[in-house]
Amino acid sequence: MNSPTTTPNRSSAPEKISLRQSADPRFVLADRVEQLYSQMPVAVAGTFAIGVLATYELREGRYIEIVLAWGGLVVLLTLMRIALYWSYRRSKDRIGEAAQWLRWLGISAFAAGSTWGFAAAVFFPSHADEQQVFLAFLLSVLVGGGIPIYAVSWPIYAVYAAGILFPFTYVLATFGNKLFAEIALIIPAFYVLNVGIAFGLTRVYNSGYRLRHAYGKLTEDYSALNQRLEQQLVELDEARRQVEASGRKLALFAERSPIAVLELDPAGRIQQVNPAAELLFGYPPSELAGQAVSKLILPQYQADFDAQWRSLIMNREPLTGLKLRNPRRDGISIVCEWTVTPLVNAAGEIVAIIAQGRDVTQQLEAERMKKEFTSTLSHELRTPLTSIIGSLQLINSGVLGDIDKDVLELTTIAERNGQRLLDLINDVLDVEKIESGKLTLFPEPLLLSELVAESLALNRGFADRYKVRLAASGELPLVKVNADRKRLLQIMTNLLSNAAKFSPEGATVLVTMQPAADGNVRVGVDDSGPGIPENFRSRIFGRFAQADMSYTRQKGGTGLGLAICKRLIEMMGGKIGFSDRGGGGTTFWFELPQQP
Amino acid sequence: MPAQPLNRICYVEDDEDIQRIVRMSLEKVGKMTVEVVGDPLVAIERIAAFKPDLVMLDWMMPGMDGPELFKKMKTNPDTKALPVVFITAKASQRELEELRRMGALGTISKPFSPRDLPEQLRALWATLP
Repeated sequence: MNSPTTTPNRSSAPEKISLRQSADPRFVLADRVEQLYSQMPVAVAGTFAIGVLATYELREGRYIEIVLAWGGLVVLLTLMRIALYWSYRRSKDRIGEAAQWLRWLGISAFAAGSTWGFAAAVFFPSHADEQQVFLAFLLSVLVGGGIPIYAVSWPIYAVYAAGILFPFTYVLATFGNKLFAEIALIIPAFYVLNVGIAFGLTRVYNSGYRLRHAYGKLTEDYSALNQRLEQQLVELDEARRQVEASGRKLALFAERSPIAVLELDPAGRIQQVNPAAELLFGYPPSELAGQAVSKLILPQYQADFDAQWRSLIMNREPLTGLKLRNPRRDGISIVCEWTVTPLVNAAGEIVAIIAQGRDVTQQLEAERMKKEFTSTLSHELRTPLTSIIGSLQLINSGVLGDIDKDVLELTTIAERNGQRLLDLINDVLDVEKIESGKLTLFPEPLLLSELVAESLALNRGFADRYKVRLAASGELPLVKVNADRKRLLQIMTNLLSNAAKFSPEGATVLVTMQPAADGNVRVGVDDSGPGIPENFRSRIFGRFAQADMSYTRQKGGTGLGLAICKRLIEMMGGKIGFSDRGGGGTTFWFELPQQP
Repeated sequence: MPAQPLNRICYVEDDEDIQRIVRMSLEKVGKMTVEVVGDPLVAIERIAAFKPDLVMLDWMMPGMDGPELFKKMKTNPDTKALPVVFITAKASQRELEELRRMGALGTISKPFSPRDLPEQLRALWATLP
């Protein structure tokens, strides 16, 4: 039996299909054809044997030549049927070509039947009575024997039996013998009866084949289903193990966590707390379990907390960074920062709420003290510096009268170093503000060319000290930017003072303005300094960055200026950088988005 | 811009060194008449008596800080119309913005340059209607 090698497309929809319907007709037909061909060797061998026997028995009588020719025909037909069988067996697509093979078998069966019909038509009238009986017997055997051979396809049996019986019936009917004429009348009925039996058997076979295929398909489905179930069971088991492991890990995290963890129900009642929560609030778990969480919130914070809680229940979104003042059991209140997370099930219901809190009282106090310290430092350092620098400036300005040259030199040094100290304080305070995120910018629409011109005017006095000239390159274009005026002036001052410090005496520092990519405007400050050493380029915008410490002493500066400039420019939505100038020197530039 | 030039300045400052520097700067460089008040608690009366063109207030002072004194000045009929400039070493940008909203004419950061102080004050004076 040839098994189907391909599986027909099956719908995955759970339709209710009967077993008979579920069998693919192509496979059923292929199975029937296979059955017919599998019986072919028996049929061919039997027919050949009977043919040889008939030739032998009929050789005595007239028309011996016709008998021998008929015998040859039987041999030829046998060879052709063997060839057909052989071709079928070598076929590579018996399923796809089943209908074709069935037709060829039908032709072969009709040819076999007709050969015997010919024998009946020719030899019955010409031979003696005994031979006639013998021939009639053989024909009966062939017609009867054809039923099991061809019953899988009743039409094939019908053409086979018709090929035998119709010529024989004709001969009997025209023989001129009353008995034979009566038999000739019975034969069609016999034929119809046999075809009817073959028809019934065909239906039984068809039904059987369909059932077998349906069963095969069911078995296949069942086995695939079994495989899937087994796989799912393995996966479920693995998932269960993972969930258990995660559960154990989470329990361990909560147990050992230094952060207080509270499990609340949606009504705000405490279900469980971890040891850190016990330690933080000073309550044993038995005193907290079942209590409203408001027990841990000071009354004046209750309304705020209630509003946040309602929002959490409504939106099912976690609350983060919630700072509340919480009372401890001993009456001391602490400030805690909370993250409150609702756990939502597949139906969208909140099953629990996890609150994680940490004591930030000391942290807030430290921040407050730091802020106070910075503020005090700023005031306490600047106030004496105001007196020092102010006094020296008044002396050095000459408004108090002429002073000795050596004294003037020393007071000038003192003023310059007082200014350096002030710059350092200002830069350190700026860095502190930037890093703590407390630096606020006040951007406003500015005409950049005006600001650049102002910065040139403001820094000319400083540049004069280094005998360096500051100038704009041509007429500056009228471009607007949105920036913090004071901070942008600080950036320009930084870039211009650096350029003046590092340019040789008599040089000119040129400021350029031009459009840049992405709708930006670029301001460049060109110096004629020694350039930026290769090993310093990557950290030039870092804190306390100066290429050579000897320069720091010689030229002054804190090494914080460019780091501050970079951060300020970035806060204004721009960027900062530098490039070598052809022929020596460096251009420091920044870009800001142009405003319409 | 006011018709008369800036001439009479009253400066409220507790630090005697800075008082002296400011006085010298305004008198010697700016050629102005200066009244310095060291105690903010008596400042209102002294300002009212001196009748300055402009008042300079230090930010941090013992007893009463500059912003508080400024608020008190605003409630006194003799001082409420006077332009006020703050001299400060510590105010944040936000606090300075707040003072401007309250009506302060301007702020000058410590340390200031005594050479430039008179000009800075005159520039602020010029912004008055």
